Amino acid sequence: MAKYEALKQAILTGDENIVVSEVNKALKEKTDPQDVLTNGLIAGMEIVGKRFRSGEMFLPEVLLSAEVMHKGIDILNPLLSKMGRRGVGTVVIGTVEGDIHDIGKKIVALLLEGSGYTVFDLGVDVKGGTFLEAIGKYKPDVLGMSALLTTTMPHMGEVINLLKEKKLRSKVKVIVGGASVNEEFARSIGADGYAVEAGTGVELVKKLLAKK
Amino acid sequence: MPKMTSLQRVLMTLSLKEPDMVPTFEIIVDKKVRDAILPGASYEDFVEYMDLDAACYYDWAYDRYETVDEAKGIIRDKFGVIKRWTTEVDPMPVEAAIKSEKDLEKYIPPDPDVPWKYEAIEKAVKRLKGKRAVIATVVDVFYVVNEMRGMANHFMDLIRNPGLVERLNEIVLNYNLKYIRNCIEIGVDIIWVTGDFASTIGPMASPRHMARFAIPPLKAQVNECKKHGIPCLKHTDGNIWSIFDMLIDTGIAGIHPIDPGAGMDIGVAKARYGDRICLIGNTDCGALLTMGTEEEVRQAVKECIQKAGKGGGLVCASSNSIHSGVPPRNYIAMIDAIREYGRYPLSL
Repeated sequence: MAKYEALKQAILTGDENIVVSEVNKALKEKTDPQDVLTNGLIAGMEIVGKRFRSGEMFLPEVLLSAEVMHKGIDILNPLLSKMGRRGVGTVVIGTVEGDIHDIGKKIVALLLEGSGYTVFDLGVDVKGGTFLEAIGKYKPDVLGMSALLTTTMPHMGEVINLLKEKKLRSKVKVIVGGASVNEEFARSIGADGYAVEAGTGVELVKKLLAKK
Repeated sequence: MPKMTSLQRVLMTLSLKEPDMVPTFEIIVDKKVRDAILPGASYEDFVEYMDLDAACYYDWAYDRYETVDEAKGIIRDKFGVIKRWTTEVDPMPVEAAIKSEKDLEKYIPPDPDVPWKYEAIEKAVKRLKGKRAVIATVVDVFYVVNEMRGMANHFMDLIRNPGLVERLNEIVLNYNLKYIRNCIEIGVDIIWVTGDFASTIGPMASPRHMARFAIPPLKAQVNECKKHGIPCLKHTDGNIWSIFDMLIDTGIAGIHPIDPGAGMDIGVAKARYGDRICLIGNTDCGALLTMGTEEEVRQAVKECIQKAGKGGGLVCASSNSIHSGVPPRNYIAMIDAIREYGRYPLSL
């Protein structure tokens, strides 16, 4: 069996016992914890993400996969911290001021967490100042903003301008999403990327952080 | 064809027969939009002024909430979900009502018989009965349980704790059935079950899970309506192609909105399902109604009627609601276009 095949399969089926035993087995065999994380756990969640985007898996199964994957991460985290290894990345996410739509945002947050990112979800109706505070507090790699209504989309540009004002723009990648958001709008406000649906959002975060 | 009353028009459309005109109505027309068109008027005055075919009484608009933190706008709803007021019509859930099974031991379900809940509907029936359709909405069981447990917990319960899902389903269904019966006794003409089953990607859960946990409560609500000869409609945003058949099999008379934001084409829906169910929709209230020109709105309505109006079976409506971001001129353009292009026999 290819390396980590049993681990990836256990993530797909949401089998916590096998995830835990496979991670422990790998560590006993002196495998690098970062390798277990990246090529085992995260790779398993990437398959889940692909199947979610293609409609083969649904939110309940994705959540279960994410939960068991986290059980594996919980074993690795102390070892990774000791080795001074950075986690996959940190994301702050929220629905902008005046907007309360959040299903897409919640799905993105869940998928990102499932892929090993630390996610701070600020909720809905988030003012610009609150996004700024969160960036100061959590020092994320990525800021994600969501809006469904075209009347609230302009707040995304305002937040980006605030980041520029406070000289924080270069410290964080900004992605935007929501049914009415498109490439043109994202470019016009100076965002680093846009995602029309949750699965694409996760891919986008990965791409942006790979460039860093 | 002689002009019908709005009620006749709506009922004929829901029966998949061709009426005199394509009817139109909305779950919500935001007060800001209404006041801009007819300042200071009541909702019923507005419905009559715009000649809408139905007046719709949105369940949650007539709820009373328990204040938890007035300064932060935090409240508790009738099912015990902690919510926060925002600038939109509905408060947003911030904390689940049922965090563990233990919470059910002391849980007191809401009372569907509180008289104040029905005051607006009673007045509406007195004023509009027989002339325009009076519609009462009720939020679907699957959606309410999702708020009661919190989204992530509910979805995982579908796999890990189906017994808890079924217990919560029963609590909410009991409330809804009594609420529906009460509304019908007062004299509403139609029940509209709201609460999304899908997002842009597809149904919230697999078709297998939707069939087991979401469909049976909907069917029970439909059956309650049918016992009294009342049509039942269903609203769900999102891409519902993979569950469309099971939705129709519950016996609903109409489905809203055939969500264009989720890539659903009302012409395709008409071709596949137009002989089995009335379609309600689907003028885009995201980009089009908020940022489009009046002419773009007119063209979209014309296209909708062209695609789905033949032979009846179409209620022309927005893709969700006429929310506060819709310029009043665009809503007026939408209504005018429905009246212009929606006369039967269609000349499009």
